[in-house]
Amino acid sequence: MTDYQFAAPLDLVVDGAALPVEVGGVEIALVRQGDDIYAIRDECSHASIPLSEGDVEGSEIECWLHGSRFDLRTGKPINLPATEPVPVYPTRIENGTVLVSLEPVQE
Amino acid sequence: MTDTLSEALELDPVESHLHPEGSFNVDDHPVPSGLEEIWRFTPLKRLRELHKDAPLGAFSLKREVETPEGVTALSVPVADSARGLSGYVPTDRVSARSWEAASEVFEITIDRSVEQAQPTIVTLRGDDVAQATAGHLLVVAKQFSKATVVINYEGTATLAENIEVVLEDGAQLTLLTLHDWQDDAVHVVTQHARVGRDASFKHVAVSLGGDVIRASTSADYVGTGGDVDLLGLYFADAGQHIEHRLFVDHTAPKTKSNVEYKGALQGQDAHTVWVGNVLIRKVAEGIETYEQNDNLVLTEGAKADSVPNLEIETGEIAGAGHASTTGRFDDEHLFYLQSRGIPEQEARTLVVRGFFNDIIRRIGVPEVEAKLREAVDEELSLTLGDAP
Repeated sequence: MTDYQFAAPLDLVVDGAALPVEVGGVEIALVRQGDDIYAIRDECSHASIPLSEGDVEGSEIECWLHGSRFDLRTGKPINLPATEPVPVYPTRIENGTVLVSLEPVQE
Repeated sequence: MTDTLSEALELDPVESHLHPEGSFNVDDHPVPSGLEEIWRFTPLKRLRELHKDAPLGAFSLKREVETPEGVTALSVPVADSARGLSGYVPTDRVSARSWEAASEVFEITIDRSVEQAQPTIVTLRGDDVAQATAGHLLVVAKQFSKATVVINYEGTATLAENIEVVLEDGAQLTLLTLHDWQDDAVHVVTQHARVGRDASFKHVAVSLGGDVIRASTSADYVGTGGDVDLLGLYFADAGQHIEHRLFVDHTAPKTKSNVEYKGALQGQDAHTVWVGNVLIRKVAEGIETYEQNDNLVLTEGAKADSVPNLEIETGEIAGAGHASTTGRFDDEHLFYLQSRGIPEQEARTLVVRGFFNDIIRRIGVPEVEAKLREAVDEELSLTLGDAP
């Protein structure tokens, strides 16, 4: 049983953009695509840049410094220079708020 | 486009691209964002705000001092101290903040012409990570003296420290800094040595424990014949960040420098950084320099960054070079040893011992050498099991 914690009010998470939040001491970027909310660790696995400062395109988020893109569903890098995945977390929407579990999604 | 003859000949002091002029004023050093060249490898989030505005209290580590004859070691208030003697000017925000916050300077002075085989040993032990603290150490080796100083860091702390070393003409000094911190220590230390005419300085940096260690070490020369030997040994475990930044500024002709750092990494997210730079100024004709860094990555998940640099303003030199290697365990070494009947685990231990022994054997302080061989075995036992 995973424990879901409050991350942000749903209406603050704008479609197609990333919102930086902190949940239980972990920095997370929340991304909304229509009815889906993705949560990804807010730090590029290559040069420690906050991913929330980058562009969101479809189900991918791009690190602005060197251009690595990550799949928001799996956290896997799509192109270089990043080679390591970034943890992604399960989310849930309840009563207009976004909840995040800090147990990363396992492949 | 150059306008004057002196510009064309580059007679004015040349600024190092990697190591610009410093400043004592904290406000001249903006809070780093992590994108700056000098900060880009450092995990700023783990510095406990040392790089921002965390209040720096008076020096809080307990000090045990053993001094042989001819060496004095005492703590003096900043106003009465000789700090600044090395010509050091803070080059980053943490160092400038530490300079501003330090209330006392621990001064170790080796008297003129004293030759002391017995090392001076200073053990600093901390027990508080919550209150960040500022330290300042000044080591002065007077003319023609010959001595060894060992600084041991133990326990835990959040420490921003400046170390100045002054070698007067003809002095010979070995300084060993041993970071044997507990797992949660954060230590940002900047060290500068000024080396006199025909003086020789050997610094050995050993970094084993701590959460984040960032050590910036630099040296320059007052006159000809100065010799600098900067040796380093580090062993990073899971989650540890160990960073060494070296800078040798050849400010005088016919001087020598040798930089050699060796490190091993094991465990998830063990991270080491080595950035070496040598600036050969226009005036520094006939100098000889070499810098080398070798990294042995023992397990998956560890990462070593290694960046050697050379900034050369004159070609009239005896020699300049650098080298860097980062690799995993050499299977051929292992195969060879096993083919001679040595079991795998023992063979692995032998190879790593041999790797580090290259540095350890040159320290020249027998009790420290023995201690380090033990420390290496202890680190290895984490991944390889107990040493045979």
